[in-house]
Amino acid sequence: MKNKVRALRMRQNLAQGQLAAAMGVSRQTINSIENERYTPSLPLALALARYFGITVEEMFDDQGL
Amino acid sequence: MTKDCSRGITRSKWFLPAFSLVLGLVMLAVSWLGGSLGQGLISLAVLAGFGLIVLLAGRSETVRGLRGDGRDERFAQIDLRATALSGLAVIVALIVAWLVATARGQSGSPYGWLLAIAGLTYLLAVAWFRWRG
Repeated sequence: MKNKVRALRMRQNLAQGQLAAAMGVSRQTINSIENERYTPSLPLALALARYFGITVEEMFDDQGL
Repeated sequence: MTKDCSRGITRSKWFLPAFSLVLGLVMLAVSWLGGSLGQGLISLAVLAGFGLIVLLAGRSETVRGLRGDGRDERFAQIDLRATALSGLAVIVALIVAWLVATARGQSGSPYGWLLAIAGLTYLLAVAWFRWRG
């Protein structure tokens, strides 16, 4: 699923590992989300949105589904 | 949101090594009871060695996921798919073995029994998860 995770992370100068540690997942999971290979669970999507201070709808684009 | 009660255990890096060691000890005990202590010792050595390798292996995602300490929701999904695929492979092998045994005029046992267990478990699991979900 298309998302803004990479853009938001880069804007805050965060490494994938740092975001992963904050979310309690592996760095590879963050990488997979950014590359649209993995769609996160609802709890993780909510945690990511909360972390960046935006809504889930703003972070993820489901129009392609 | 569901609460996974097994998280604490399966996320420890000791889970798989400890499981391997316990399985090795069980195999040693069973082999000893069956009168083949040597085979049991080999089984224990192989399983304990596997556990030790997993414990001391590097920090790759695959190793950490298998070991337990690198397991997150994505790896849990990978694990689920891999388990389903391995189960499918076993069921296909059992069906082929059952067909071959039946074609040879044999009873098809124990393949038929194993297939029945697999089928029944699947139906019960579907009913259980449908009820829970």
